[in-house]
Amino acid sequence: MTVPAVDPPLERQYRRLSPLTPLVRSGILVVAALASTWEDVLHGDLGPVGWIFLTMLVAGTAYGTASWLRTKYWIEGDELRVDTGVVTRQSRRIRVDRLQGIDIVQPLVARLFGLAELKMDVAGGRAREGSLAFLPLREAEDLREVLLSRRDAVRAGRSGPVVHGAGQEQVIARLDLPTLVLSLLLSLETIGFVLVAVATWAALMASGHLRGVAAVLPVLIGFAFTQLRKLSAYYDFTVSSSPAAADAGLLVRRGLFELNAQTISLARVQGVVVSEPFLWRGFGWASLEVALAGQPGSEGEGRPAASTVMPVAPRAAVLALARTLLAASGGPDLDAVVLTPPPGRARWAAPVVWRFMATGIGPELVVSRRGVLVRRTHAVPHARVQSLQLHQGPGQRRLGLADLQVDSPPGPVAVRGRHRDAAEVRAVLDREVALTRRARLSAR
Amino acid sequence: MDELFARPGTDWRPVSPALARLRRTVLVAAAALVLVGLSVLAVLFSAPAAVWVLAVVVVLVAGVVGWLVIGRNARWWGYAERDEDLYIKHGAMFRKLVVVPYGRMQYVDVQAGPLDQAFKVASVHLHTASPGTSARIPGLPATEAARLRDRLTALGESQAAGL
Repeated sequence: MTVPAVDPPLERQYRRLSPLTPLVRSGILVVAALASTWEDVLHGDLGPVGWIFLTMLVAGTAYGTASWLRTKYWIEGDELRVDTGVVTRQSRRIRVDRLQGIDIVQPLVARLFGLAELKMDVAGGRAREGSLAFLPLREAEDLREVLLSRRDAVRAGRSGPVVHGAGQEQVIARLDLPTLVLSLLLSLETIGFVLVAVATWAALMASGHLRGVAAVLPVLIGFAFTQLRKLSAYYDFTVSSSPAAADAGLLVRRGLFELNAQTISLARVQGVVVSEPFLWRGFGWASLEVALAGQPGSEGEGRPAASTVMPVAPRAAVLALARTLLAASGGPDLDAVVLTPPPGRARWAAPVVWRFMATGIGPELVVSRRGVLVRRTHAVPHARVQSLQLHQGPGQRRLGLADLQVDSPPGPVAVRGRHRDAAEVRAVLDREVALTRRARLSAR
Repeated sequence: MDELFARPGTDWRPVSPALARLRRTVLVAAAALVLVGLSVLAVLFSAPAAVWVLAVVVVLVAGVVGWLVIGRNARWWGYAERDEDLYIKHGAMFRKLVVVPYGRMQYVDVQAGPLDQAFKVASVHLHTASPGTSARIPGLPATEAARLRDRLTALGESQAAGL
């Protein structure tokens, strides 16, 4: 495969996606067709299923080729323009200065051909608006560089191109395989699985149907599947400083089969969450998640979340990463914030969990910690607080307690001060209001 | 009024008394509807008079309680415009206090349904980038709602902070 060198201007001269795109897109279909009909094919005649697949393949390839012919992209002024559509023509313009981040994803099939998909995060857009699939990897990386540097130039007041560092990625943290495997084995899912397995086994022993042990098998398969999916998603997890946005970016690369490269713009960071599951505490491990503006965080149960910045690492390394992420607020230390528990009478409002709750306000951060099995420490910089709330139900009023709530954009971060002393929480709220005001003023 | 929901420097401004009138009207209408329904059912199924009386008493008591609760709730609504942020408090049973900095507002809504229009009130809704922000002031006189919206929008623009 030959890749023409990207002309630096890339202007007014449209480019196409990789000609291999239709092939990669229908690659899955080819595999499916072969898998379901290979016996028929070996016998020399195509079964009905084979014919259906063949027809779909031909139609799909024809459509894919037409789609490839119609898809062009180019940069014009401050916009990336993408023309697509076979039947309905579509012309999309993406303002460069609205680009929040650009991810490069390589699904397995695309990876075999050295191709990659470019996914663009656009400010305000809830879903990913722009995607270019597939480009040769080199071209995708170059295009990302061009777009990001042009964005920074536009944001810097249209004053010519911004000179970037010499394109050197510096690795900040890297996850090794033994740690990842061990952390997955020590996760809460493992506890759940062992409990279910033991319960099933005990029930079977009690009822005397020993052959029913096979009933545990589906549970085992499901467990192994989720853990392997995490393993393949988090494999070779590497965090480095991004060369494209040397002043304000991290680059997260991960994946075993499907490679993922995600840029995190530090200006978008709304807060961080440090999680310490029960079984990890012996090793002093923690994981780190970040809340980004315009990215609603976790992608649902069981799926590895895009908000993960480090799946597992020693706590000190996680805290150091958190400081890097919070650089826009001066890189404060999470542990430096003094957390205080709710008053003892909170036990009547929240019997056991009250012991695991704590909240505190530091010079740059408002922090809360909670969770019995997984201890989660949420932190939001004052400059990123959206709004503040106090809640008090009838029971809490009798106990002299009230809840403090810090509102953040949709994402994993939620700072809460549950069951605080009602006499002091209003003063805390007013102090936090003053702190957020000062932080906004200095950030403006 | 306790410490927790004390005025934030400036006085709490109440919502229009029309809010309680509106809600009480709805309550009375609903109670009347239920009473009519009960009477029809009692006739249809020729229920004993005692059952009908009991049901009516229950509805009436519920109506009276609702009447009082509405009054109490309406008195608990309050908002205070400060230089950089808006304080809103509400709820008699479940009390809430919301602070929204003007610089964090994404947009401001003014809504007035047909009933609201009949009572010449409107509600103002403040939105930030967080869906958790429940900053709504119902039952403002229509002119006051428009004034508040314009002031909030102007202040929001001049104090806007990046996400």
